[in-house]
Amino acid sequence: MATPGGQGGGALSTRGGARRMKWALAMTLGNARGRGDRQSNQGDVMYPIGYSDKPVPDTSIQESDKNLVEKRCWDVALGPLKQIPMNLFIMYMSGNTISIFPIMMVCMMAWRPIQALMSMSATFKLLENSNQQWLQGLVYSVGNLLGSALAIYKCQSMGLLPTHSSDWLAFIEPPMRMEIMGGGMVL
Amino acid sequence: MFPPSLNVTFSKKPSVKMAKLTSLFVVLFSLFCISEAVFEDQVGKFDWRQQYVGKTLFAHFESNTQSSKKLFVATDKNIFASFNSRTGDLLWRHVDKTGPEGTIDTFLLHGQDALMVVGDGRLLRSWDTNIGGLNWEAVLDTGSFQAACFVAIQDTVKHVAVLKKAAISLHYLSNGHQKWVENLPDGDAVQYQAVYSGGEEELYVLGVVPNSHLTIIAYSLEDGEITKQRSVEAPWLSSVESSCVVVGQGVLMCVDPATFALYTLPIQAEETPEFSQILLQSLDLKVSPGFQPVLVSSQPHPARSPLSEFFLQLGTDHHVLLQLNADGYTIAPLRDFQPSFLVSFATTGEKTVAAVMTPKNETACAINLFSVDSGRRLLDTTVIFPLDLNGGKPHKLYVHAFLKKDDSVGYRVLVQTQDHALTFIQQPGRVVWTREEALADVVTMEMVDLPLTGTQAELEGEFGKKADGLFPMVLKRLSSQVILLQAWLAHLWKLFYEARKPRSQVKNEVTIETLSRDEFNLQKMMVMVTASGKLFGIDSKSGSILWKHYLENVQPNAAFKLIVQRTTAHFPHPPQCTLLIKDKDTGLATLHVFNPIFGRKSHIALPALPRPILQSLLLPVIDQDYAKVLLLVDDQYKVTAFPSTKNVLQQLQEMASSIFFYLIHSDQGNLSGFRLRKDLSTERIWEVVLPTEVQKIVAVKGKRPNEHVHSQGRVMGDRSVLYKYLNPNLLAVVTESTDTHPERAFVGVFLVDGVTGRIIHEAVQRKARGPVHFVHSENWVVYEYWNTKSRRNEFSVLELFEGTELYNSTVFSSLDRPHLPQVLQQTYIFPSPITTMEATLTEKGITSRHLLVGLPSGAILSLPKMFLDPRRPEVVTEHSREENLIPYAPEMPIRTEWFINYNQTVLRVKGIYTAPSGLESTCLVVAYGLDIYQTRVYPSKQFDVLKDDYDYVLISSVLFALFFATMISKRLAQVKLLNRAWR
Repeated sequence: MATPGGQGGGALSTRGGARRMKWALAMTLGNARGRGDRQSNQGDVMYPIGYSDKPVPDTSIQESDKNLVEKRCWDVALGPLKQIPMNLFIMYMSGNTISIFPIMMVCMMAWRPIQALMSMSATFKLLENSNQQWLQGLVYSVGNLLGSALAIYKCQSMGLLPTHSSDWLAFIEPPMRMEIMGGGMVL
Repeated sequence: MFPPSLNVTFSKKPSVKMAKLTSLFVVLFSLFCISEAVFEDQVGKFDWRQQYVGKTLFAHFESNTQSSKKLFVATDKNIFASFNSRTGDLLWRHVDKTGPEGTIDTFLLHGQDALMVVGDGRLLRSWDTNIGGLNWEAVLDTGSFQAACFVAIQDTVKHVAVLKKAAISLHYLSNGHQKWVENLPDGDAVQYQAVYSGGEEELYVLGVVPNSHLTIIAYSLEDGEITKQRSVEAPWLSSVESSCVVVGQGVLMCVDPATFALYTLPIQAEETPEFSQILLQSLDLKVSPGFQPVLVSSQPHPARSPLSEFFLQLGTDHHVLLQLNADGYTIAPLRDFQPSFLVSFATTGEKTVAAVMTPKNETACAINLFSVDSGRRLLDTTVIFPLDLNGGKPHKLYVHAFLKKDDSVGYRVLVQTQDHALTFIQQPGRVVWTREEALADVVTMEMVDLPLTGTQAELEGEFGKKADGLFPMVLKRLSSQVILLQAWLAHLWKLFYEARKPRSQVKNEVTIETLSRDEFNLQKMMVMVTASGKLFGIDSKSGSILWKHYLENVQPNAAFKLIVQRTTAHFPHPPQCTLLIKDKDTGLATLHVFNPIFGRKSHIALPALPRPILQSLLLPVIDQDYAKVLLLVDDQYKVTAFPSTKNVLQQLQEMASSIFFYLIHSDQGNLSGFRLRKDLSTERIWEVVLPTEVQKIVAVKGKRPNEHVHSQGRVMGDRSVLYKYLNPNLLAVVTESTDTHPERAFVGVFLVDGVTGRIIHEAVQRKARGPVHFVHSENWVVYEYWNTKSRRNEFSVLELFEGTELYNSTVFSSLDRPHLPQVLQQTYIFPSPITTMEATLTEKGITSRHLLVGLPSGAILSLPKMFLDPRRPEVVTEHSREENLIPYAPEMPIRTEWFINYNQTVLRVKGIYTAPSGLESTCLVVAYGLDIYQTRVYPSKQFDVLKDDYDYVLISSVLFALFFATMISKRLAQVKLLNRAWR
């Protein structure tokens, strides 16, 4: 960390005794005292800075990587399903009272699957390389749908869904009067 | 303590323990929910009270000095009160029982003591006039009261004599103790009517055997022994009270209306002389035909004999001042006053003057003072009394005379007019104050919206007119916008102009010209109808009387019905109110149509009403001038429409089959319903008879036509809906049993459909008696009665529900309702009797309802309807808690914070009127009775208005500070970034 350039270059050293200069590049062999220079000293050849005599590893695609991609894609597709037990636990913990934290939880729970479903195309791009792209997509969306169903169930159990007749009471218009009536005690 | 009885549907029998728990819960609950007393700084901000005393029967002034400030009145409302004569304000007031028990029979004033006989001779009271405290009270023997007078011995007034039908008693003025009481001889035959004392050792009682003879009995003041007794032939005399006075040195002066003669008789004479007759003709006096001549005399001081001068009234506007000569037999006319409305004597020091009111011109009367000795007019004593064209004629004159510094006589007058108004006038004709005492007896009232301002009306008018092309419409819109701009500029200029003036000079007086609706329609015009036939228009914000109109020839027992036919919403048509006045004796009705904002009578062709009118019915049908149609039902059940234009008649023909009305003949115990036919006759379609031998129909109430119900049902704990039974044609009929025995008395409440006559529900409260006060609104009826068994007042509530499903949610027809509603009932104990009850009313009916209960103590209680809910559970469950139901507790609390009139007690509340305002949270309330009290109530608190003490300054300054802080810090940040980039 202290000398970022020190490991790449061979003849890089700091002279503790030197006051004028903070660092210097030593081009001569005789002056090279750094430990890192020993390797290059053995071959008695001067390599340019940044030269490595080891071969560069082969980066072409191999068969085992294919499996890895598949695995990764399944991870993505199964993510929403894996969250469901966790959500169930949170739901259980937060209870059915209507207060700020349960509401926030429910909102999060409802919003995340919807968001995920809306950015479906981005997810498909991720799964592009998989062979089971369509299956994975299906599983992904099913998981999200399940998540939102869970949120709706939570709303229902909290009483936030207008499923009762009382929820529509305010919209009932007063009935029209068919007869006109009046009168009273004889004055 | 037993829980209240009668539970029709659900029975509630809470145990004591439960009751304790629940009442604790109630207290806690109400602590959380309801706190609505006014704050100290809100006192008088939205409310006002006016106190009245009623029609003056007796009035006296404090003392005969110029500086005296008090005057005392005793009224027909059994009130003894004192006014500040400089301002007309009430100094103090004593309100006695209503009815004959508290009637003030007579009122005498001597120095500091005001003597009063109350309750037809039941009590004799002496009041200290300085502070209005009671000096003493003495219970008199039985017998109806006839007369009373002060009795003086050796120039000091020490006793008061009270004459009753069969006895005379003498009481000490200092402590009320009875000195002696004597039975009057021959009390069956002789009617004793007058008592006279002229400062001598004897007291004279005058009695008459009508058309036979006069009896004079003299009693010794010391021990009440009869010293003299004689009778004088007087076959022409029928009543001493109405036709005789005592003048001069104890001379009885009588007038005989049959022979037009005056008779004189010395009371104290030893021998038994005859009456000596003086024919009025011989004095050149002539009685107007049909008029009963009246004598007026004056006894300035009880220790001295009366003046020998007296007035004789010969016609409604003809008085003569006469003088009895020293011989006691001859009479000399001093002055003839014709025309003259009223006369009165007034004494100050040694001087006695006569005040005479004479008509001056159409709009004013003149009052002059005359010397009694000579009949000469005193110089510079004219007072002009302005005659109000919308007021009554002068009825009585009370003169307060005093000696000025230069020893001349000055005076002030109190004029009572026929409309019970009191006007106090100072020389030379300045009206010091006027009290409209007719307002002590308000019969009915309405609140009418104020008109829009001119500019608002201009805009409204634009939309009201018919469209005539695009271009003229645009022009019209532009011109009205210009007018609006002008008005706004004028308003700004006025604000600027007034801001420069000192605060005290800016007056915010309400006059009829400046009247306009405010933003939230909180200020309205109160149209009040009083029993005397005087109508008032009162500004609801300030309580000032903006107009008054006196209807002459209104019978004292007439029935009134006030109807708003057209509101202010139909500019440019003026609002229109109609007052139906029914004469109880003839049954004939008259209509008075007027503009409720200005009080002016409208010149509209009125329908001829030759037959007695039974009832009226206001239809929601409007004619082409936007006036609602009023139907008047006569005793042949024929209907007269008002207005009755062709358009209206056509509409009526179309709608006739859906117009129903009901009539209740209380004396026959008969309820009947009628349907209108196309030819405006009617057919009887139903009849219910409640036998009058068993019970009597006391009252009936339908629903208020302007009531809105926002919610059609109630949400239950399990989130289902219990739908309300909202029958607009439902009537609540209350009956009381004719048997008043506590064991057998009962009160009945019948819920009857007014269209079909179907009895929806009947609740009979056994061992109960009236008076029943009740409110019928939405789907509930609350009534209050006296429980004779437990001897307490109880409230009972009936609530009607349709069930969990609506039969027909779009239309309501009484003819198509096969199912009876579910009825729930609950009863509570109320710790006080009540005088009246009404429910709050708001614009849309969203706000929760409160009951306004007038208590005899003068408080008006705002009782949440929540406490009167038959669904209050006995055992608290989760569902009931969810519904916010208070657990049932038999005792209803009275919490002093619920008194909407805090310490402004209003006595004898006869009615409470509620009106919605433009704000949903606010309901306007007027309580009337003896006093008038106006206020606003917020049953669900002011949820739609910022609080009174909302800190606008703080909030806006914080906002501005934050805004500037953001701006400044943004700028600073920019500068800093730039500097960094340069480095």
